[in-house]
Amino acid sequence: MSSALDRQVRPIYDALDTGSNKSALVACNKILKKQPKNVLVKALKALALVRSQKVEESLVLCDEILASKPTDDGVLSAMMHVLRGLGRHKDTVQMFEEAFKKEPSNEDLGNQTFLANVRAGHWKTAQQVATKLYKQFRKEQYLYWSVMAAVLQANDSATPANMRTMLYQLALRLITSSPNPSFNQADRFHLHLSILRELGSYDDALKLLDSEIGKYICAASIVCNEVRRDIWRAKGLLQEEGKRAETLIVEHNDRNWLELLAVLDATFASASDLAGDETRKSDLVAECLRVQELLDSIAAKDGKSDRSGPLALLELEKRARQYGVSTACSASGTDDGRIVELLKDYFGRIGDKACCYEDLLPYVLLDGELASQWASFLEAVASSYSPQSDLQRLINCHKLLRYSLQPSEVTVEAELSHADIYTKHYLEGVQLGKNLAVTDLQPADDLAILAGHAFVNLWTMTNEEKYLYNAVSLLEYAVARSKPSFRIRLMLIRIYRLLGAPAQAIEHYRAMQIKQIQNDTLSHFLLSRSSPFSLAATGDLTFMTEHIESSQIYLSNTQDTPEYVVRAFNGEKYSQIPEFVIFENRVECSLQRNIAKLEHTRMRLGFDLVSPEIVDMELIDLKFIFDRGLLQDHFDNRDFDVLPNYQPCSGPSLNEQTMLFGKSEGQGWLWSFLKVYIRAFQHASDLDDTVEEKLLIGDRPKATEANSKPLKERLCTRSDEELSELTEDELTFVRYADALAEWLEPHHDYVRPPPSVVLAEAAKQTELKTGHPLKGIEIPTTNGGSHKKDEEAPPVADPPALVTSFFENMTARFAQVKSGQSPAAALYVAALMQEAFVLLMLETFRFKSNSVVKIHKLGNLVAHFKPIKAQALASIKDVAEQLVKMSESEGTADRRKEIVESCAQGSMKELDHDFILNVAKKLSDSRKVMLEGFGKGILRVVAMYPN
Amino acid sequence: MSVLRSFRATDMFTYNNINLDVWTETYNPGFYLGYLSRWPDLCCVQESPRGRMMGYVLGKAEGSGKPEANTEWHGHVTAISVAPEYRRLSLARKMMTLLEMVSDQSYRGYFVDLYVRCTNTSAIEMYEGLGYSVYRRVREYYGSLGVGKGGKDEEDAFDMRKPLSRDPGRRSVRPNGRDMLVSAHDVP
Repeated sequence: MSSALDRQVRPIYDALDTGSNKSALVACNKILKKQPKNVLVKALKALALVRSQKVEESLVLCDEILASKPTDDGVLSAMMHVLRGLGRHKDTVQMFEEAFKKEPSNEDLGNQTFLANVRAGHWKTAQQVATKLYKQFRKEQYLYWSVMAAVLQANDSATPANMRTMLYQLALRLITSSPNPSFNQADRFHLHLSILRELGSYDDALKLLDSEIGKYICAASIVCNEVRRDIWRAKGLLQEEGKRAETLIVEHNDRNWLELLAVLDATFASASDLAGDETRKSDLVAECLRVQELLDSIAAKDGKSDRSGPLALLELEKRARQYGVSTACSASGTDDGRIVELLKDYFGRIGDKACCYEDLLPYVLLDGELASQWASFLEAVASSYSPQSDLQRLINCHKLLRYSLQPSEVTVEAELSHADIYTKHYLEGVQLGKNLAVTDLQPADDLAILAGHAFVNLWTMTNEEKYLYNAVSLLEYAVARSKPSFRIRLMLIRIYRLLGAPAQAIEHYRAMQIKQIQNDTLSHFLLSRSSPFSLAATGDLTFMTEHIESSQIYLSNTQDTPEYVVRAFNGEKYSQIPEFVIFENRVECSLQRNIAKLEHTRMRLGFDLVSPEIVDMELIDLKFIFDRGLLQDHFDNRDFDVLPNYQPCSGPSLNEQTMLFGKSEGQGWLWSFLKVYIRAFQHASDLDDTVEEKLLIGDRPKATEANSKPLKERLCTRSDEELSELTEDELTFVRYADALAEWLEPHHDYVRPPPSVVLAEAAKQTELKTGHPLKGIEIPTTNGGSHKKDEEAPPVADPPALVTSFFENMTARFAQVKSGQSPAAALYVAALMQEAFVLLMLETFRFKSNSVVKIHKLGNLVAHFKPIKAQALASIKDVAEQLVKMSESEGTADRRKEIVESCAQGSMKELDHDFILNVAKKLSDSRKVMLEGFGKGILRVVAMYPN
Repeated sequence: MSVLRSFRATDMFTYNNINLDVWTETYNPGFYLGYLSRWPDLCCVQESPRGRMMGYVLGKAEGSGKPEANTEWHGHVTAISVAPEYRRLSLARKMMTLLEMVSDQSYRGYFVDLYVRCTNTSAIEMYEGLGYSVYRRVREYYGSLGVGKGGKDEEDAFDMRKPLSRDPGRRSVRPNGRDMLVSAHDVP
């Protein structure tokens, strides 16, 4: 670049870097006036345009630049950003390919071409490019790139199973052709081993592993050692692995649990089918005893510093019992009690650590006599400890006792007394931490959490909401003293949602400072089925905003993650690349992402008036999800394990108990609602597949055999499995939606203007906007705008009963759930009625225009709408008024008194009265706002559609 | 007693019980991927036998010039965190041991260093127990908090170091490190 041009171009880069797209645009135009053919400046202008959302204009420039087949570095990298902004990854790849073709000796271009394929996930081409690069430039790195790309192609879900082995074989051929052996670098060695593992070529892998250098690498590199472990196992070398592990444990004090498991696996490696074979049985006993000695010595040596020894002893006994022997059997015949002795011993050693509970879970499910021995031990311990003497042991005791409770022991009476004891101990225990810093967790927290569990359990048993009042009061009390306790907050979020007080849930959610990837894994706590909590109609956009904010992570994943795959290629960290690709894919195709998107759409329709823009945009977005879902399964990244669970193992978990409406949304829920909305938007829209193809920018999911069935057919197919994820009311809604769509579909299809007309209109609009005609579209000569079809109009049928009776039935349903204590169920019924109303508006949107009705003689059809709408309006207004009425009993002194009084039993009496009053006030006020707001909001929504 | 294994990109889906803790920052995914794409062997995880994440460490190798030639080349502990429920089990010690071993054997570093808030006495004691000593005090390293209850200690950091096998003369540490003051601009 000449220095004069450089001086001119520099400010454009600076402006782009600082986000001043406008001034970048001005600077570009200035130069282009004098040098209209300057491709670099054109490319930068295209970038500035994309970043200022002027997509149509940038497209024109973009196509011009691509047609010139640029090879200049600056142009290419600017265009890379432009195309990424437009979602045209395939074009990026093609651009680099063209450039490399033009200058085949330019290594840098070749390199870029490879990496462009990597970014786009085009592993097959990437592999070919890398092979070419290796042939031409003889750099070993390129050979390994081609190996890695072949492996990634094999792993790709779009690759047919029979191709996978072939690709791994190709990878193996390539990697063994390397002039230098793979063990020169740990990551190359890892790649080599992974390929051999996949192909089942264990002997070859073992040869590599047995070499001096192989051993050295595995000793220092955990990733390589992980593959080695797999290979040894697959080869059946359990004994050898056990010996190796034993050496590490004894000589190097290695306490990795994997090594201890290896020793145990070796012990029982040949223990199958022992029945009747006394020699082998006694061999096994002898071996068990030997290992037991080893573990005993470790336990003695480590003392309190490591719990491997005692835990491995438990695991040894558990496995021995599975084979009908016991580690104590040689000493005193058969000794069933050994497992209990070991449990007691473990509790004695580790009981003062929080992890003791989790450690012991696999071993405490005992039968009969053993169970009662264990329980009475714990009960004795529990009564001998107080929060002051040994808080953590007491907590562990309570948790373990609770875990093993039998269904018969979980009665209302028993749970009341549990809740009381936990609360009492909590209130004593929390005194111990009075002087801790605000950033510290209270050691007694788990007792409040346990009490919360008991209260929730009582609620599920009795359906009496007062137990949830107790739960929130105590948990609020606890979290006020232990601000960083996210576990308490997660419980509170769940319970407040059950209580229909979302404002409180949001408060705790925000206090946890969820960010980055947690928006994918944790946002479900707040956003799951949140449309009945959205007050968007009254102008409160809190929930819609939360949805938008949580979706940012998906954009940044699309933008950033491929760059790290590129970095890993550049740094030759092959061990990481497959995981990076999986990570990217799991975020990209996240179930939560699409559930939240749909929930946002549902909320949005209670806020934005149905318009052609909304219809088209939503249709495109939802169809994208739907089509891609056929190529690629969704990944459920939601983290439910972070919510505590100390419920008895014989019953449902806290997660299951506190799920709003008792159901979690999964793929089936997503599919059910997607079909409702895609169908409705499609009816209301003029976009059909051919139009979309022409007008849309960016890559779309490709049709394959799986989704070659026409979209229409796919939208109408519903499976019981999918529908089973819906609540009863959601199911009623979906049935209504289907009936409505079924009824009106023939008329939509008949009236919808043909693609040529739609395209012509789009072309006209684009030209008006940008001054350029729309590329690749021929405008047909139309005769006067009328596009009446030749075929006969479909007959008008009477509206189906599912449609005409829906609103009345839902009003009855509302009356039914209204008497329940929590307003959440009533809110959801009301929300579904509002949703059904908007859906009706959406489905009849096309027939609003008088000219359409006139041209197509749809008078008879349209005449049916009026009574349906009138009926809907009457029902909805009634329900809305009832919601407002319900709100009047909230936020009152009486209500507060009721809540406070229900929290005045047993140990709960010790809680500060004013504190509970405040909790009650906030809870009831929040419900009031919710009910009143939603009721009034519904009236606003229906008022948006006056006729 | 826990599984010690490498940190994987997909661990970001399950590290919530560690990262929801107030002292542990959740960075953008690129932060973790960046470390994994350069120093995967310095990033590891402790996992409970039931498969829950208990803690993790992220480290890097850095220092000016060629590794072989100078005494500034070292391993650095960027982030180490253990979930509240798994504290006091020596997990941090085990992860540090691994990081030191790799810094020593694979990267041939002279020392390993880390930064810790001057107020975090329990952590400082733990690191001292592992053989680390204060090399210098970095002023206003944690600027974000401002001067709080702990005064300057709140925002200053100790740069703590532990010599590795290539530094048998222990030249990378010094006895009076707590008195050596540098400004945050002077450290990488």
